[in-house]
Amino acid sequence: MMTIDYVSCKAGNRHILHSISATLGAAQVHVLLGPNGAGKSTLLRVLSGEVLPGEGLVLFNKQNIHSRPAAKLALERAVLTQQYAVNLPFTVREVVMMGRYPHFSRQPSARDQELVTETMQALQLGHLAMRHFHTLSGGEQQRVQLARVLVQLRHVDQPHLQGKYLLLDEPTASMDLLHQQLCLGYVQQLAAKGLTVIIVLHDLNLAAQFANNILLLAKGRIWASGRPGEVLQASTIAAVYGMQVSVLLHPDYGFPIILPMQQGLPVEE
Amino acid sequence: MMRVLLIAGLVLSVLLACGMGAMHIPLLRVVAILLYKLHLHLPISFTESEANVLWQIRLPRVCMGVMVGGSLAMAGAAIQGLFRNPLADPGLVGISAGAALFAVLCIVVFSGVSYYWMNVATFLGAVLSALLVFRLSRSGGSTHMATLLLAGLGINALCNALTGLITYMANNDQLRSVTFWTMGSLGGATWATVAALLPFVVVPVLLLPRLAKWLNAFALGEAAAAHLGIPVKRLKAGVMLLATLLVGACVAVSGIIGFVGLIVPHILRSASGSDHRALLPNSFLLGASLLTLSDVLSRTLIAPAELPLGIVTAILGTPLFIGMLMKQKRQLNTWAS
Repeated sequence: MMTIDYVSCKAGNRHILHSISATLGAAQVHVLLGPNGAGKSTLLRVLSGEVLPGEGLVLFNKQNIHSRPAAKLALERAVLTQQYAVNLPFTVREVVMMGRYPHFSRQPSARDQELVTETMQALQLGHLAMRHFHTLSGGEQQRVQLARVLVQLRHVDQPHLQGKYLLLDEPTASMDLLHQQLCLGYVQQLAAKGLTVIIVLHDLNLAAQFANNILLLAKGRIWASGRPGEVLQASTIAAVYGMQVSVLLHPDYGFPIILPMQQGLPVEE
Repeated sequence: MMRVLLIAGLVLSVLLACGMGAMHIPLLRVVAILLYKLHLHLPISFTESEANVLWQIRLPRVCMGVMVGGSLAMAGAAIQGLFRNPLADPGLVGISAGAALFAVLCIVVFSGVSYYWMNVATFLGAVLSALLVFRLSRSGGSTHMATLLLAGLGINALCNALTGLITYMANNDQLRSVTFWTMGSLGGATWATVAALLPFVVVPVLLLPRLAKWLNAFALGEAAAAHLGIPVKRLKAGVMLLATLLVGACVAVSGIIGFVGLIVPHILRSASGSDHRALLPNSFLLGASLLTLSDVLSRTLIAPAELPLGIVTAILGTPLFIGMLMKQKRQLNTWAS
């Protein structure tokens, strides 16, 4: 379980995050939503331990993540950021194996190799294993990096993922429809094994489909939070995004579906 | 497999280099003389003068070639890993120019300093210019490639200008010594030089491969490497220090020898991949072989005179370098279409 306690961040005099507090349960998918500049990526960088907040605390399983040694933290949290430019010719398998680096000192064990193979197959990367990473398309590169951060969190001998958390910043932005569903579906399965998952998304419909819990950010504050059905209401979206939408319900699964109205024109203030 | 081939290649290059020169010593006799020094007597006869030439003149020079070539190549591979760019080179980022400036300063302005102190001063020059370039190219905790190359260019230009100024003030004798630095040569090799160079080479060559796994992860970017629990600042400082140690010490004894640090890792990456755990030691082996052979060319092409070694490596290296660029360009075009 993760507790975010009155976290604030400043850049110069401007508040990027303003007294953010939330409790994020284990074995759940939490999605951070909000317009550009709302502070989603900054919040993610605070949660990853990369940025020390000006005020407040982030506790994971009652431990302050900013006082954890980097090598220990690497065994319990993995981070997928938005951009990876790899200029040296590493193969896809080598890149995924880098996720296991915190687990072995010199050479990977047979079990490390197995976990890499298994995760690559789950994300349909098997056929790309020997390709050079920098020759892949954007969506393929995202899948490779996702596989890398997922193998980082796997136990050597236990199937569960309790006591670990995963941060993803727009993991599916360049993926096609099938792979968006495949990847988020796989992440959802891992959450069911005890993993705490926090994802920044822009696509409200993906959020509605995969989130157990949504934090809607605007101007550095939490505007609304709760289950997708509670947060994703037409009035809330109009207030935060300045956009008129209709909210329908999926006929079979019941999660909300958000459709823009007014053909792309913003709301008059 | 690759490793075995490279070791075999190095042994062969060393034996070849020991045999070739003004006095030709057949391969078997080279082996016999070397083993004789280890108190193993083979039934192959050789003359006293052959043994002296090999032991007093050629072998120290070959040893230095192995150390300098290996060091430059390994430092190149490590620096490319650190800057996450296959085109980074100790020369491009200003280390060599800074070292040469201090060396020339020793020759002309503080003439008469001992060989040992000159080594130290040259090394300091390398460290200072490297730090300056590194410092200039960082903002907000991350290194920017474009700024880095520009900073390297700037520091190179400044060092070269100052080196030029000092050279202008030099007398005839000093001018000859200055030429030695800027064109590179293994001509000064004695057992004493080899001994002076040895610690500067052995320590980084043993330590750098320990950073290899971290360097691999560094290819993902500084933030991603930090997320994998890697102490990024320590890695950067470590690689800069060790690579500068290697290059600074080499420039001190042999002057500026270009392209080895650029070409060797590049050849190995296209042959056997980027994994630094293999790349760093393999770079040492291939760099050592190539420089030993280049030195044979520099000694024999216009014998009894010598071609400066830096000129030989540049003439051999430039076409290779341009070839690699063309190949890369073609690849980029295929991906684009």
